[in-house]
Amino acid sequence: MNEVKTILAFDTSCDDTSVSLVRGETILVNVIASQVELHKKFGGVFPTVAKQAHLENIEPSLLLALKRTGLTLEDVDAVAVTVGPGLAPSLEIGLTFAKNLAKKLKKPFIAVNHIEGHLLSPLAKRQTRKIIEAKASKKTHQKKVKFPVLGLVISGGHSDFVLIKNFGEYVRLGFTIDDAAGECLDKIGRMIGLGYPAGPVIEEFAKLGDAKKYEFPLPMTESRDYNLSFSGMKTFARNLISKIEQEAQEQGKIGLDKQTIYDLCASAQYGVFRHIMHKLDKILAKENIKEIWLGGGVAANQTLRKLLRFKANQHGLVFKAPYSKKLCADNAAMIGVVAAKKLERGEVIIGPRAIAKVDRQPRWHVGEELK
Amino acid sequence: MKILKVNENNRAKVIDEIVQSLSRGELIIFPTETTYGAGVDATNQAAVNKLLSYKTRREGKPLSIAVPDISLAEQYVELNDTARKFYATFLPGPFTIISESKHKTAQGVESEFGTLGVRIPAYQLDLDFLKAFGKPVTATSANAAGKPSPYSIEDLFKNLSDKQKSLIDLVIDVGELPKNKPSTIIDTTLSAPVALRQGDVVADGVARIEDQEVDFISGSEQETKDIAKRLLLKNWKRIKTTGLIVGLDGELGVGKTVFTKGIAEFLQVKDTITSPTYNYVNEYDFVRHEVEGRLYHFDVWKVGSKEELVRLDFYQILKPHHVIVIEWWQQISGFVSDLEVGLLEVRLSENDKGQRELRVRQK
Repeated sequence: MNEVKTILAFDTSCDDTSVSLVRGETILVNVIASQVELHKKFGGVFPTVAKQAHLENIEPSLLLALKRTGLTLEDVDAVAVTVGPGLAPSLEIGLTFAKNLAKKLKKPFIAVNHIEGHLLSPLAKRQTRKIIEAKASKKTHQKKVKFPVLGLVISGGHSDFVLIKNFGEYVRLGFTIDDAAGECLDKIGRMIGLGYPAGPVIEEFAKLGDAKKYEFPLPMTESRDYNLSFSGMKTFARNLISKIEQEAQEQGKIGLDKQTIYDLCASAQYGVFRHIMHKLDKILAKENIKEIWLGGGVAANQTLRKLLRFKANQHGLVFKAPYSKKLCADNAAMIGVVAAKKLERGEVIIGPRAIAKVDRQPRWHVGEELK
Repeated sequence: MKILKVNENNRAKVIDEIVQSLSRGELIIFPTETTYGAGVDATNQAAVNKLLSYKTRREGKPLSIAVPDISLAEQYVELNDTARKFYATFLPGPFTIISESKHKTAQGVESEFGTLGVRIPAYQLDLDFLKAFGKPVTATSANAAGKPSPYSIEDLFKNLSDKQKSLIDLVIDVGELPKNKPSTIIDTTLSAPVALRQGDVVADGVARIEDQEVDFISGSEQETKDIAKRLLLKNWKRIKTTGLIVGLDGELGVGKTVFTKGIAEFLQVKDTITSPTYNYVNEYDFVRHEVEGRLYHFDVWKVGSKEELVRLDFYQILKPHHVIVIEWWQQISGFVSDLEVGLLEVRLSENDKGQRELRVRQK
């Protein structure tokens, strides 16, 4: 029978607890028990560290996912979970929960790399049917991917260039050697006094500012590798802001005026993206690439999407990015999409003993074997 | 093993015996103005290996070399202006001056940082045999790792195993030496000289790494890393016995992660150290000189209570063989007191010359 399997997926890699049900690349439900609301009470400064929250959220999130789809645990064909990279105590919660569930349901268990999730997140498709059947009988048509694909994972925690030779075959071409791109913007936002994380605010303010007002340095132009570095931009921003503040003070003003903040946001964002595009050009000049995919939190940024879409068009390449903001964040749906590919390849773990052996891997780079 | 007692009449013969013994790649025990030293030809790999097995677990503690004068020193190290000043003021004397090595000694003599310590002993017999030998001789105290400094041959032999004794070929016995401390070690490879070990003689104006409070100046990212490595080497024993917290403070972009990269290089972590801000903490396993451990790299900027630290499993990881680096340390230092682990606090700031100032406090 040509039946599409239903996968239940979990992600507790950092702050957010997420539970999803997928069939192939189709997302039936993607629950994120976001703590963002919780954080706001503390002015976005002191969020509760996730471990306890994951413990409290994971079961209600699962129940919500089942309720929204009308499915039951009996309809689940496999259980998938993020085992790394991420925050060890947080990973532990999702891993333990998923392991126990797989054992209880006597279903295959699938260990997924969080970055592979972001990499394949552009493939995720919306559920279009009004009613979800207990068993999907037909395979939905999937557009064929032209490999090799260049995957960009740009977020608050990661900045990776990954060569996707095929599903499951990855080469890490380049990565940040210090801060992640999103983190750099978050931190510059913090210096300006925009709270934390400031990424989304910076994107909004950048629209009102002059991106060429302050020229941020272009890092690592000398190095021949595809790695990124954002710490120099941070230092540049710190010195720039203190200079502007000092000048303002000399003129008898207090702090930064609105337009200066907008210009700073626009310039910083432009600087960060320019660095990414510079390295991307290097990759496109050297490697044989057919498609460009973008994933991760910063994939929600329209300016970055525009830059990449334009670049892809220039080179005659296909460009893909996730269809929703939720899929850019840390979420379980993308874990489900990866798990569906793994299930097709038979990369599953079966039996209570084998499942028990799976351990969290906080530093698991994509492309490396599961230890 | 041959034991030679030195008297008024046999000096020339003693020097001749020493030179011959060293030339054969043998291990000698000889007196200095500080303690008895263990010496081999520092350019002979087999001889140095013999010395290293005599000294037992070094774990990255370098040896240094003894030479008779500055001109022989210059064949083995690059002398900068700072070093030349120290040579002129303090040598010969109970000082070991560290410079960039020219990598001409056998493996295991220079430090893992590529530096080499040079000694010109203020002890006539040593100067004479070194001059006659014409090559550098290792200058390390004759005791095995962790044993007291030896001031007499009886002292020394009390603490040696039979195997260690069997490695000694020649002993130069001049009786009991005055109880002078081992040499003061001054590293001249950083922007400002630093005393890595304090002996009896104090060099004015030189920061001492052993002090509870010590300041460093760094002119580059590389130097920030070099400073981190030297501090970690100084704390290596504490890492093994209790574990070590390294608390970092300083503005964004001042070099906290760079400092951590230096620590990771010292610990021989193979992975790239990246910012832990998003994850709160990154973990890296390390193996350094066959000692296994784990490096934890925290960013606690978002952490504001003891409870949150508990949820990060923080208190469970404070144990031997763990190095716990914490960015924004002041944020949580109040919740971390009376612990069994060692503590190194480092505050980084930028001065108006664009250099980094590192204020280190050790508890």
